[in-house]
Amino acid sequence: MNVFVTDLIEWINYAGGILPALLAGAWVTVKLFFWTLLFSLPLGLPIALGSSSRFWPIKALCRAYVFVFRGTPLLLQLFFFYFFLPIAFDITMDAFTTGVITFILNYAAYFAEIYRGGINGIDKGQYEAAHALSLSKRQTMFGIILPQTFKIILPPVSNEAIVLVKDTALVSVIAVSELMKASRGAVNRDVDMTAYILAAVIYLLMTFVLTILSNYLEKRSLRYDGKEAG
Amino acid sequence: METVNKVEMNDKVEINTKKDILIMKDIVKDFATCRALDGVDFSMKKGEVVAIIGSSGSGKSTLLRSINGLEQITSGEIDLRGTTSMVFQHFNLFPHMSCLKNIMYAPMKVQKVSKAEAEKKARELLEMVGLPDKADSFPSQISGGQKQRIAIARALAMNPDIMLFDEPTSALDPEITGEVLAVMQDLALAHMSMIVVTHEMKFAKDVSDRVVYMDGGKIIEEGPPSEIFEQPKSQRLQEFLSK
Repeated sequence: MNVFVTDLIEWINYAGGILPALLAGAWVTVKLFFWTLLFSLPLGLPIALGSSSRFWPIKALCRAYVFVFRGTPLLLQLFFFYFFLPIAFDITMDAFTTGVITFILNYAAYFAEIYRGGINGIDKGQYEAAHALSLSKRQTMFGIILPQTFKIILPPVSNEAIVLVKDTALVSVIAVSELMKASRGAVNRDVDMTAYILAAVIYLLMTFVLTILSNYLEKRSLRYDGKEAG
Repeated sequence: METVNKVEMNDKVEINTKKDILIMKDIVKDFATCRALDGVDFSMKKGEVVAIIGSSGSGKSTLLRSINGLEQITSGEIDLRGTTSMVFQHFNLFPHMSCLKNIMYAPMKVQKVSKAEAEKKARELLEMVGLPDKADSFPSQISGGQKQRIAIARALAMNPDIMLFDEPTSALDPEITGEVLAVMQDLALAHMSMIVVTHEMKFAKDVSDRVVYMDGGKIIEEGPPSEIFEQPKSQRLQEFLSK
């Protein structure tokens, strides 16, 4: 019993010792997450609208964009932007900025597809009613169609946001000291799995907060429920 | 435009002497697999109430939808001297807006009417269709008949010269079509120009000034309801009416 208590106290001391480094890493993770969402959520919209454009060059460009960014590993994209850009164009960016930009471009492609699906899910009658009331294309899209897609896209967007929390770990390969890199550093140094356990708990806390937030938004979006028949 | 206004001021002028408000000539509409309209000539005068009848696939909805551009015609001429609003079979209310906002939205956005003015007009229209207490309800919270009355109010809010009705009662339970037809009858009595694609023979008989029978993308017969229903000339119309 005494031995167990001593071990526990020792473990808590150790965990307390590595926690500041892990939290510093977690802060970088949160920043990466935040900047990525802030820019990729809106950037997905013009790509989604462009993908359904009747002007074929725009449509082709947007479809190609989605094809490339969705069709290649995020890890590869990170390497590409981190190693290739400085050599090819003589652009130097710090690893964090490179990571943010890569994530924005990648996630915008996913969000674009979610938005496109949401827009396609709106009944044709809504466009016809808008046309019959002489609303312009822009008024129809922003006043009638997009507000209705919000409810449809909320669950898949929340899902992507949770995936993003975990994907942020990938930037550790380009030497960004986020949570994953910080915990791996501690594990390798001390030959102790504690850092991974703490990191897992921190990731779970982050996704837990997101789940609560998305549940709240989903409930709010149910103020009016059910689509119209037909 | 001036002559039209003069006519408006004098309701008692016979329909025959009134101005044409819509003239359609030799309208053809081809879909990928069929010809929906096959050389249709149609015109109507201001204040006229026209009922278009015929079986499904006769082209009657396509004709109506080509008037406001929901269908692009393949060939022919459409001379529309005024604005239109449309009421749909499936209502197509905007589900994310309250009934009041459904009615106010287009006048504010398209005609740049002030919010206060749009709301005043919307409340008058709600009164007219008998639903003043549904202003703050969402479409999902009201019945089908109520939805269609809101849709009529929404269409009227744009002050159209012609109201187009595309099977406005076909999606409703038979026992509640009456409340929608009553509103339409009020409009007819107020000399609104109306084209009504309908299966409601009683409405066509009692309310319309003229009945148009379509089949196979053509107008087969047209005339005042008394003639169409009591002395149908063509065999196809006789068969249609005996169903």
